[in-house]
Amino acid sequence: MQEQTVTFRILRGTIVNDKLVQRTQDFEVPCDATTTVLHALEWIKGEIDGTLTFRRSCRASICGSCGMYINGRSRLACKTKVNDILAGNVAKNIAPAKDGVIEVGPQRNQPVLKDLVVDIEPFYAKVKTLDPFVQDGPEKDEHVTKDSFSQVNMVSNCIMCGACYSDCTAMVENPDFFGPAALAKAYRFVADPREGNKTERLKELSEKNGIWDCTRCNMCIDACPKGVAPMEAIVKLRSLAMEAGITDNRGAKHAMVFKDDIATWGVLNEPFMLLKTAGVVGALGQLGNALNLAKVGKIPNPFPFDHKVDKLDEVKAIYRELQENPIDVRTRSDDSGPGAG
Amino acid sequence: MIQHDILIIGAGLAGMRAAFEGISAGLDTAVVSKIHPLRSHSCAAQGGVNAAINPKDDWRHHAYDTVKGADYVGDQDSIDLMCSEAPQAVLDMDAMGCPFSREEDGTIAQRAFGGQNFPRTAYAADRTGHAMLHTLWEQAIKLGTKVYDEYFLMKITTDGGRASGAIVMDVKTGKLHQINAKAVCIATGGYGRLFASNTNAMTNTGDGLAHAMRAGAAAADLEFVQFHPTGLRNSGILISEGVRGEGAYLIGKDGQRFMQKYAPNKLELASRDVVSRSMTTEIMNGNGVNGGVFLDVRHLGRDLILERLPQIRQLSIDFEGVDPIDQPIPVRPTCHYTMGGIRTNKMGQSEQLQGLFAAGEAACVSVHGANRLGANSLLETIVFGKITGKDMVDFVTNREGRERPKSDAGDVQEVSAQIAQLKARPREGGAKQSDIRKYLTEAMQEYCGVFRSAEGLAQAMDAVNRAKADMQKVFVDDKTDAFNTDVITALELGNLVLLAEATVMAAIERTESRGAQSRIDYPKRDDANWIVHITSTVDPNGKLTLGRDAVRTVDNPQYAPAERVY
Ligand SMILES: Cc1cc2nc3c(=O)[nH]c(=O)nc-3n(C[C@H](O)[C@H](O)[C@H](O)COP(=O)(O)OP(=O)(O)OC[C@H]3O[C@@H](n4cnc5c(N)ncnc54)[C@H](O)[C@@H]3O)c2cc1C
Ligand code: SF4
Ligand code: SF4
Ligand code: FES
Repeated sequence: MQEQTVTFRILRGTIVNDKLVQRTQDFEVPCDATTTVLHALEWIKGEIDGTLTFRRSCRASICGSCGMYINGRSRLACKTKVNDILAGNVAKNIAPAKDGVIEVGPQRNQPVLKDLVVDIEPFYAKVKTLDPFVQDGPEKDEHVTKDSFSQVNMVSNCIMCGACYSDCTAMVENPDFFGPAALAKAYRFVADPREGNKTERLKELSEKNGIWDCTRCNMCIDACPKGVAPMEAIVKLRSLAMEAGITDNRGAKHAMVFKDDIATWGVLNEPFMLLKTAGVVGALGQLGNALNLAKVGKIPNPFPFDHKVDKLDEVKAIYRELQENPIDVRTRSDDSGPGAG
Repeated sequence: MIQHDILIIGAGLAGMRAAFEGISAGLDTAVVSKIHPLRSHSCAAQGGVNAAINPKDDWRHHAYDTVKGADYVGDQDSIDLMCSEAPQAVLDMDAMGCPFSREEDGTIAQRAFGGQNFPRTAYAADRTGHAMLHTLWEQAIKLGTKVYDEYFLMKITTDGGRASGAIVMDVKTGKLHQINAKAVCIATGGYGRLFASNTNAMTNTGDGLAHAMRAGAAAADLEFVQFHPTGLRNSGILISEGVRGEGAYLIGKDGQRFMQKYAPNKLELASRDVVSRSMTTEIMNGNGVNGGVFLDVRHLGRDLILERLPQIRQLSIDFEGVDPIDQPIPVRPTCHYTMGGIRTNKMGQSEQLQGLFAAGEAACVSVHGANRLGANSLLETIVFGKITGKDMVDFVTNREGRERPKSDAGDVQEVSAQIAQLKARPREGGAKQSDIRKYLTEAMQEYCGVFRSAEGLAQAMDAVNRAKADMQKVFVDDKTDAFNTDVITALELGNLVLLAEATVMAAIERTESRGAQSRIDYPKRDDANWIVHITSTVDPNGKLTLGRDAVRTVDNPQYAPAERVY
């Protein structure tokens, strides 16, 4: 990308008499191949308009300050290159911007304080209610091994940037939902051998506003700049909770009905859900033929309960296979080794 | 007015570790941070933290490496304390739940780091600082520590010769608050933003250090600023030493390697200061492009680059627009760490201002002397966070700190007037903060950076004087109260200008080359005259004065100055 002038359309906001008043404002910003959205915002603030307000600190996608809504998704301004947004970038799953305009607004699902700054209090309040610290208790295991934290590694990459929370669809329906980051953080403790109250935690997480409120829309996985994949953590928490016999709640019952339906009838109303879950837990390979059949569409009818599927025996085979070779829901993320100093 | 027993400014590793001690002792302890604690710059540290945990290691070796690395101006009592307490400090973090990487047998994994004789650097994958910071934050929630998130330090207040608290601004509303405390701890980190090219977060502006100096505390070692050889040329983002470990070459504009001229044996793998100086020499001799030279990995081949250096490749593509498979990466020496800070005794207490403590990068207990060893600064934060925290508890419960100092409401008015004055200045005929920041940091980089000389430092001082004059007419566009980051960055710039002046003065004063200070006009280390700290103090009129403070020694013949060869 040559040096060129790019239009930034920024959603500005101020609180007037306790009410948020928003308007868009355009700025023409000189950009080249290395310009990030944060560079551009800094340039605008320094050269054109010092009133433009946003958070930032590390400029290296590690502090989580600069989360904002950029061309249709929550992203980190310091990690987002203007060129990728303009031209699109398949590898980064970015579609080209329409009209060649960079659109920047505050994160969603949170009250706006000013311009691109949102109130992070509710987000953190939820994390705090989940007791985010290793606790002593009966299930504490002091013995840790080299791969004890393979579970913990992925979720402890979280920088609390709020991108997942901002894009979460369940949050729109239920603002009290704990949200993806808090639940990923909760998984960090459930997965830590040194945690003493794993089952207690799973019980709490199975209650209202917890793991069963997620609609599994995948948005948090797409939004997360650190590869935390909160939805996967939520799915794992669900499985662990059910394994621990915490089934006396709407979500778990729902899941069990689903399971029974499929086992009996071979249908459920979200045929892809199973696949997705199985894919997420990385066990497709183990299931071999049975699941491969399912994959190519042997669970054909998305409308439940009207008839049994043709090859029910194959569906049953999937279940048999699963029963004999239970999936390790705790996917692993290897220690990435030491980095720079 | 708000009252606490212990007030800690800064919620990075040092501040949070100190707070842990205050709360655990049952004292009313509060932490103020201009950004959310988890955003603190400590989160950026990847490499690790040193501690002689391995039974085959010995903290005395760690201490020896540190004394030598510091080029013999580190305080030996502090160094002994840090290294002997290190294993326990790391084990404390582990017990709090920090997910350190493990060896096969479950012990904390450790690896080798520069300038040390044993692999004693513990790490949590490639995010050690992040993992430790999250752990201390978790503990703060567990203990119910009061944290003033997004409150900006405006002034450290005093009552006679004693610190009495602080004036802080609630960033969300712009409202000023007076906090009174029996002990005040500064843990606001370093000021690497003073240099145009740096690896630091944008919030590393040395606010606490500048305010402590204004309140009457002394600073020391400000001339010692560490430059990492390979920051990306444009952004300063760190390219790990590991790339040279994989066999990367440093080449100039002419495409030729040059390290054989400077370090014929170790070549690209010579120590940080040697490599930084060599690169800068090449750049000054016209063998650079746009102020940088190049890190070349092309000869390693596409496969190895993709397999072993994927992140480095991505950083180069993202931030320099260069794919290292086809083109060399533009790099230049980049400011990484500020060794200087608030001068304290080995417990972290200021000797000039009673009741004032400091810990972490903001402090100068002087464990780093003229040159910090990699992975010793995370260690400093957790060891001295803990020690200083405990000492504050003792000060407040058993010593002079039992009595509460008085706060003066006039301080709020003064700060309030200062902000009003800033907002009242017109754009017309005023000075723009982005302009000041640019010429000041460029001058610091060029004239007070890797190489220094009397002439160069005089140029740097010219820029400082210009900045001081311009700060009198600096204006802000944002005249509102709520979340006024325009005002905050202007105030941060004011702090940087003070630290620039003090740094340049100390660099002029030290007429020798030692550790990170390299004077072209005084190329030799001068042990007869310069095994001493240069201190900097500010008088009530804002005038800076330099002084001297002896290097604290212990009776250990091994610590006698010797030539630093690796
Ligand atoms: C890229 C990078 C990598 C590094 N890697 C390593 C490593 O591998 N090993 C190692 O040992 N060291 C490393 N370091 C150095 C180390 O990270 C820092 O020295 C250390 O984290 C500093 O911690 P701190 O607690 O002193 O300050 P910080 O973590 O910088 O925290 C400062 C705190 O002060 C607050 N603050 C500042 N000003 C104000 C104000 N005006 N009002 C209110 N609050 C304020 C901030 O909000 C923040 O909470 C690295 C540094 C960098 C830049
Ligand atoms: S998958 Fe669940 S947690 Fe993630 S964004 Fe969708 S609803 Fe929210
Ligand atoms: S899970 Fe990812 S998107 Fe969500 S807060 Fe953490 S880092 Fe940000
Ligand atoms: S500025 Fe820290 S994540 Fe973007």
